[in-house]
Amino acid sequence: MRYQVTHRTTYTYDDEVTDSLGVAHLIPRDLPWQQVRGASYLVELAPEPTDLSTSTDYHGNLVTYFQVVEPHRELVVTGRGAVDVVAPTAAEEHLARPWEGCRPIVEPTAAGAWQATDFALASPAVPMHPGARDYAAESLRPGRPVGEAVTELMHRIHADFSYDATATTVTSTVPEILQRRAGVCQDFAHFTLAGLRAHGLAARYVSGYLATDPPPGRQRVVGADASHAWVSVWLGEGEWLALDPTNDQWQNDRYVTVAWGRDYGDVPPVKGVIFSEATTSAPTVSVDVAPLPADQPVPATDQGDRR
Amino acid sequence: MNVLRDYVAGLHQPALVPAAGSAVLPGVRYDELVEPDGSLRPGWKPLAEVAVTIRAADLDRVEAEIARFLADDGVTYSRPGQRRAPWRLDPVPLVLDAASWKALEVGLAQRAELLNAILVDLYGDQTLLADGVLPPALVFGHNGFTRIMARSGAIDPRPLVLSATDLGRDADGNWRVLADRTQAPSGLGYAVENRRVLSRVMPELHREADLHRMAPYLWALRSALLQSAPEDLADPRVVVLSPGSHSETFYDQASLAANLGFPLVQGSDLVVRDGWVLLRTPLRLERVDVILRRVDSAWSDPLELRGDSQLGVAGLAEAVRRGRVRVVNGLGAGVLENPGLQASMGAMCEHLLGEALRLESVPTWWCGDPDGLDHVLSRLDELVIRTTDGTGVQITELAPDLLRRRILAAPHRYVGQQRVPLSQAPTWTRGEARPADISLRTFTLRYGSSYRPLLGGMASIRDGDRGIGSKDVWVLKSSAAEPDQGLAEVRPMTAVRSAPSTMPRILEDMFWVGRYAERTEDMVRLVLAAHVLAEDYRTRPRTTGGMSLEIMLGVLASLAGRTSDDLDEEFRSVLLDPERPGSAAQSLAALRDALAGVRDQLSLDVWRVFGITARAESTLRASPHGHAIAESAGRMLAGVLSLQGVTASMIRDPGWHMIGLGQHLERSLQLCRLLRVVTARRGLEVDREVLTAVLASAESAVTHRRRYRDYVRPAGVLDLLLMDAENPRSLAFSLDQAARHLAAQQASTGSTRPERLLDELIAEVAATDTAALVAIGGVDRPHLTAFLDSVEAQVGRLGDAIGSLHFATGPRPRPFGALQHRPVVEEGAS
Repeated sequence: MRYQVTHRTTYTYDDEVTDSLGVAHLIPRDLPWQQVRGASYLVELAPEPTDLSTSTDYHGNLVTYFQVVEPHRELVVTGRGAVDVVAPTAAEEHLARPWEGCRPIVEPTAAGAWQATDFALASPAVPMHPGARDYAAESLRPGRPVGEAVTELMHRIHADFSYDATATTVTSTVPEILQRRAGVCQDFAHFTLAGLRAHGLAARYVSGYLATDPPPGRQRVVGADASHAWVSVWLGEGEWLALDPTNDQWQNDRYVTVAWGRDYGDVPPVKGVIFSEATTSAPTVSVDVAPLPADQPVPATDQGDRR
Repeated sequence: MNVLRDYVAGLHQPALVPAAGSAVLPGVRYDELVEPDGSLRPGWKPLAEVAVTIRAADLDRVEAEIARFLADDGVTYSRPGQRRAPWRLDPVPLVLDAASWKALEVGLAQRAELLNAILVDLYGDQTLLADGVLPPALVFGHNGFTRIMARSGAIDPRPLVLSATDLGRDADGNWRVLADRTQAPSGLGYAVENRRVLSRVMPELHREADLHRMAPYLWALRSALLQSAPEDLADPRVVVLSPGSHSETFYDQASLAANLGFPLVQGSDLVVRDGWVLLRTPLRLERVDVILRRVDSAWSDPLELRGDSQLGVAGLAEAVRRGRVRVVNGLGAGVLENPGLQASMGAMCEHLLGEALRLESVPTWWCGDPDGLDHVLSRLDELVIRTTDGTGVQITELAPDLLRRRILAAPHRYVGQQRVPLSQAPTWTRGEARPADISLRTFTLRYGSSYRPLLGGMASIRDGDRGIGSKDVWVLKSSAAEPDQGLAEVRPMTAVRSAPSTMPRILEDMFWVGRYAERTEDMVRLVLAAHVLAEDYRTRPRTTGGMSLEIMLGVLASLAGRTSDDLDEEFRSVLLDPERPGSAAQSLAALRDALAGVRDQLSLDVWRVFGITARAESTLRASPHGHAIAESAGRMLAGVLSLQGVTASMIRDPGWHMIGLGQHLERSLQLCRLLRVVTARRGLEVDREVLTAVLASAESAVTHRRRYRDYVRPAGVLDLLLMDAENPRSLAFSLDQAARHLAAQQASTGSTRPERLLDELIAEVAATDTAALVAIGGVDRPHLTAFLDSVEAQVGRLGDAIGSLHFATGPRPRPFGALQHRPVVEEGAS
């Protein structure tokens, strides 16, 4: 599938901001199952930044650094471009392996284990939590194939937790999520990570988009037209299985992968610092993931906003 | 009897009780002074002749002198959450001979080389992890591992410039590494001060010892920092980044900055523009090339690291990654402070340097390793248990069950370290030299292409894990011809970069130095004037003098309130209680805080002020007699006045002018408050008595007598204190001086708001007629009241205007907002 993505974050302030520095994870990664359409995928700012540069971060994501020094009361950060996606696949023999063999700290000499270790430890937003461990234990029964075990965990979380945008803020902790049994996609992801890592599995937080515009007869899925988050579990060597507990499905060709890290804190779409007396207002975010026919030329980025 | 002989004799007494809290029996420790056979260690042999003459009385005297010198220099250290405490230095140095030092030196140089190589590897290719030399969980699970600095293309090849290593000596006399300090090593400033003080109080011993002086090492450090600049710049700008004057080791930071001749700055003094780090000065932003960092990495950049940090510089990490500024030590160097690394130090040395590790660490077991875990759990009572990231220092106090559970819950976060029997050295305690545990902090610097340890260091006197004092460390030369620090070629510090930078924050501190110094002086003078009246009239309330006393006490109360009916108690409280608003003690404490913020800008003599006032305060506390009040107040006054002797020798830069500006504005304000007593009329006799006290408080009694004889009347007093352009204590004079100091500021143009406000005020005072002010309307002098109101209000506005023009550093950085991720769907896909 080919998608044209527009992800716009608008910050409005009640006073003038004279200096604004930011870091954005808005440009999707190039992956075996995902090709970014060349250099036309860009991060744009209004007002015009004096400094704008994109480089590759520790986890291999594209990260954009910017600074705006023109006095402003509104800052708009837009990630925009086109991307081709197919459904990622995982080899059957990896999925069939007992989950205990996919613990990098227990099997440190396994191929790829040392890199995967970074995703098997607690991280700032995903602490080791006994509640999450006990919850995941029901699915991670001894000797069970890893693909089956983590898929069942996904099903259970989807069934037991309700999607509720009002239940949580960006700072929800794992114990809060467990107690409320509700949250947004990012909370589903953090809770899943806590459960998997508590048992020694390596799992990363994936940030990206999920396309809507469902084919006829299919239901519209939650989390559409917003930035989305899901997880990806290490199956050994370079293999990972990406699954979305919010929507109870494995990642398919409707998912655009932007960036991954240990948790949300490694890859927020936009974060920054302002120098101002202003009281920050809540930003507005608008995301549009529009399917494009594969033979249609990619629209030039300067065609203007849809708004 | 000789002190050191007593010490030796004591060591050979059969010990009746094993040392408390120690698993090690006395006698198996290494003694730094004597060999097991009772003869002196080689380092002490050349000093024997002088050393044997040291008597208890000498050391008592020296101990007191050390305390006084350290107080005069304002040397402090504060434990987290506690008040600043004086630094402690033992009079007996740790002396090491050239031969035994040599082996240590080679080991330390190798260690720094190794630590640098580990940093380069962990933030670069990570071969240590890929090849299984180091367990990945040990590194990835440590909060010092700073992922934003681990990006290809952004690797600093020399991230380690200055490191410190803590060593303990085992029973066989071998030094073992207790810990490495690489985040932002502290102690060099204290070591310099220790040497300065000890060389003054033990001159004979110091002369006798042919020891390595420290100065060339500081020159080398300065040169190494200058050479750290990213490009080949002729005149790179180096700054020392401090967390601020409330930091634990602020003295160390400020002293080091002053010794190196680099400005001490805080995060708010720096900004990032287009990837360059710039220093705010009143006129422009100046590029910074090298930052000696004393702020921990995690707090160094609110954009990419801890977003709640007010100590860092937003955008610093990006500037470093682009190679536009060098941070020393590199951001992320704290990853080396993980005690778990000690377990793999030998293997890492083989892997990275291809040679055997020379300086062994204390035996360490990492619990993330199954064998290590077994070992630690089976010896919980013998080992020191630490977390890998240094948090939870108190864990050794946990009950064994709880500790075991904690370790098992996250084994990779814990290590066990063997308790080593530290060496002991004579330490002067309550009139006698007793053996005390010591550890040695050494410093190693990248100079040119190699690492060089400081020939010297700082020894800590330890009580268990806690340092309770310090010792100077003397490393002797192998021959008199050996150059200090083995650095023959290093050039002494010559021209330090022209004027020290005057950042808004520094100007602000300087301004308040002037204001609080003047406020302290004025309050002490007022107490002295009131006390004179009190001594004569306190028992005669209805007399002229008694009424005058009440009036002067009223002035005191208007500035500092009234807390006691007992006059002596009241005076003592105003002089001594720093918690009392408006008291002299409070102003003095505020003066000290303001001075601490600009410590590197000022001569050390400035701290003598507090040495003098502190001694005056303790005398007053110790004496119950009334006369002690006047005596101590007099000495406090002398102390505060001595500050002017220090500022007289300062370079006439904007900072100096800011002190003058603050002082003269404060004097104008205090004068107006004092002269309020002249607005009322109470009969000739009382008025005369009050006016005399006012003249004394305003330090103009002598001038008045010379000009008006003993004829004291309101018009004359007001003329002298308000209008007389030749009386340095007058309002007219103070405002005129303030105008000169203001004009000397870099941001002054002749027409800035503060200048206009001050010009208007000066014109108003000049146009005022004293005769009109003394004019009586009803029971008091309404014109004088209105005049004083007006001057006070204008000085207040002027102070605000100076603040917003000269001290403004702009708003503090804040994160974009906490809710940025919650999606607000505004439009759907078509």
